[in-house]
Amino acid sequence: MDIRAQVSMVFHLDKCIGCHTCSVACKNIWTDRKGTEYMWWNNVETKPGTGYPTLWEDQEKYHGGWERKSGSLNLRLHGRLGGLANIFFNPFLPTVDDYYEPWTYQYDELFNAPEGDDQPTARPISMITGKHMDIEAGPNWDDDLGGSPVYAANDPNLGELTEEERSQLNELERMVFFYLPRICNHCLNPGCVAACPAGAIYKRGEDGIVLISQEKCRAWRMCISGCPYKKVYYNWSTGKSEKCILCYPRLESGHAPACFHSCVGRIRYLGLLLYDADRIHETTLAPDDQLVEAHRAIIQDPFDPQVIAAAKANGISDAMINAAQHSPVYKFVKKWKLALPLHPEFRTLPMLFYVPPMLPVLAKLREGHYEISGVGDQGLAPMLSSLERARMPLRYMAHLFSGGNEEIVAAVYRKLIAVRIAKRAQHVSEATPDEVQQAMTVGNTNPEEIEAIFQLTSKPTFEERFVIPPLAREMAVEATLDPFTHKPETGFGFRRAPKRGG
Amino acid sequence: MDELKEQPWLPCSCAVTSGLLIFACGALLGLVFAITRTGQSGSGSVESAASPTPVVQSVSAVVPQAGGEGQTIFQQKCTACHTIGSGDLVGPDLEGVVARRDEDWLTRWITTPDQMLAENDPIATQLLQQYNNIPMPNLSLTQSQVAAVIAYLQSTDQGQSLPPVVAAPALPQGDPAAGKELFTGNRRFQSGGPPCMACHSVSGIGVLGGGVLGPDLTQVFSKYGGETGLGTFLSTMPLPTMNTVWGQRPLASQEQADLMAFLGQVAVSERSPEAILQLSALTIIGTAAVLALTHLIWRYRLAGVRRPLVGQRSRALTAQR
Repeated sequence: MDIRAQVSMVFHLDKCIGCHTCSVACKNIWTDRKGTEYMWWNNVETKPGTGYPTLWEDQEKYHGGWERKSGSLNLRLHGRLGGLANIFFNPFLPTVDDYYEPWTYQYDELFNAPEGDDQPTARPISMITGKHMDIEAGPNWDDDLGGSPVYAANDPNLGELTEEERSQLNELERMVFFYLPRICNHCLNPGCVAACPAGAIYKRGEDGIVLISQEKCRAWRMCISGCPYKKVYYNWSTGKSEKCILCYPRLESGHAPACFHSCVGRIRYLGLLLYDADRIHETTLAPDDQLVEAHRAIIQDPFDPQVIAAAKANGISDAMINAAQHSPVYKFVKKWKLALPLHPEFRTLPMLFYVPPMLPVLAKLREGHYEISGVGDQGLAPMLSSLERARMPLRYMAHLFSGGNEEIVAAVYRKLIAVRIAKRAQHVSEATPDEVQQAMTVGNTNPEEIEAIFQLTSKPTFEERFVIPPLAREMAVEATLDPFTHKPETGFGFRRAPKRGG
Repeated sequence: MDELKEQPWLPCSCAVTSGLLIFACGALLGLVFAITRTGQSGSGSVESAASPTPVVQSVSAVVPQAGGEGQTIFQQKCTACHTIGSGDLVGPDLEGVVARRDEDWLTRWITTPDQMLAENDPIATQLLQQYNNIPMPNLSLTQSQVAAVIAYLQSTDQGQSLPPVVAAPALPQGDPAAGKELFTGNRRFQSGGPPCMACHSVSGIGVLGGGVLGPDLTQVFSKYGGETGLGTFLSTMPLPTMNTVWGQRPLASQEQADLMAFLGQVAVSERSPEAILQLSALTIIGTAAVLALTHLIWRYRLAGVRRPLVGQRSRALTAQR
């Protein structure tokens, strides 16, 4: 047993309103430099949709992540020899057009244009070339558009739906979409780290944050292909790759990352998980439909005395273990089994989990009118059967969150439905106690758990959402530096000489 | 705009392009060499069948033994290009040269001709033009050696010693095919010297010719006054550069004859247009082949995702209409 700590995340998709505040907060702090204009370390996608970069989930095209081949785990990008052969030319890179060409507007024209017959306009100009351009796409093109013919219709997750199901999604009554905010997953088995020929990417020992050394990076750009989530970006100005750093400078000083902190819908949770590093390899080799179970199994119970002893033996402090015991992520992922990893079949063991969104049910038409009153089969679908009458087929969600295992997604939904029925029974008295009892049985839950889920979902405090572990950087540096040497050197200009520009 | 959109990936495309270029050049060279080598080995086998019969080509003259150091040096260093009283060779006949030229000038000229040419000495420049633009080489003679040579030249003028009759050494019959083999290095020199091709180029040894360190030898036969001049040159190797390489490893007489025969054969006025066409065709075919190969190797590369996706939809819409 090799217990390590990982700062992990949960995004509760039911609460996401698609406002992109997270993306803007991240952009303002980290990526409004030259060369990073097109990067969105945090982005919000409309699903069904092709995402950012276009069709990032289609590994037939991008060759990201891992694949299981005859009992061993291989990078889908290339092996050692293939990597050497392609070292000067990685053939599976997205072009800037697949992300989008970043632009701004010539606002000066509004004030400085010579007098003429027409109103001056601020024409769009490319932030890369500085020339006029026609805007063709953006990082969330077709935002808020369910059923758009190009981007929504080509969502790779729709691939397993029948032709009939797909065409139904374009009917007005069935039109559906939800939002999928994405940041780096800080995986346990990161494809980017494995693909880097320079050894520039590493997973921080004390908290599992995956970082790129800006000194070691040699711009081979294998990480960009290696990451199946396309969350490593190449800075064309500095010639180095960059990615989400989970705002580690904020975490180290006890603040939540900027995207978490600014989230309007309060969908984001952050906390520590303890996992068994010895079992990473066997976990990644699980069959597709058992990956979620294997992933849950690798996360260890922070209350188990054996786990605590093993964690202490690995140098994890009492304060960290205490943070792991209070982690909201542990509750959502392991205790309640509500949060699922995104595309576990990429086998990188992502440590960002999603509570799938409650699906809107299909309204019934009677005599040309939507039936909104009545109970049972007469009106809106009864609560319990809402899963069967969901507009979006479960198979879509299973393709997204459970490697195709519909049973796992269905179990999550049954529990979420039970919470909804139980809480509605308390407040609007819609359901009878029998129905509530039945819902709890089907959802495999109990009143205490329902209350806890409700509390953490609907009314969590700031401290409950973000249980930031004391990262104790001053102790973490001991591994490589004498703390007394480090302390006076952390000030201005000691570790790196101050430099004009650059 | 399209071109500029690719800009973020510019370092990559540069690396790819340069990589491809290096690859292409390498492959092209390999191809050309393979072709020329095949040609050579063919001609080599024909050559070995005909065994050359040694015949005395020209009567060797009486070489005076008397005359001291000056005569010896003259024999070794000067007779490749100069005669005394037997007419112009590569350089002028030196009969009466002591009377013609100022002694100081003559001393400087024999000691450092290269420097005088560089300084645009009027006589030197005129001589250069007169004698096919073949410059008088710096023979690295010491002051006393130069004085000895001048003394010897004076003595011949005054009839005190016999002027040497320039004579090509008795050479056997040369075989041009064997000469080509020696030139290209398919056959080694007996003394172990490097093949001529290492430094020199000549027409008739394949489209790429040879090295460019030394001068092109295509017209050397006529420039050096045919068999007599070239023969003496090959036997004495008087130029400093050549002497450094060949001084300790003289060519065998059969080798000299073969090389002369080969150089006499290739002494055409210019390279044939055929050879130039061949070279261009090889370059074009080679480049196309390398490009085709790289395309084949990376045929599954990702060439944009969003554009094709949108294009597909627009085409479908157009088809519907």
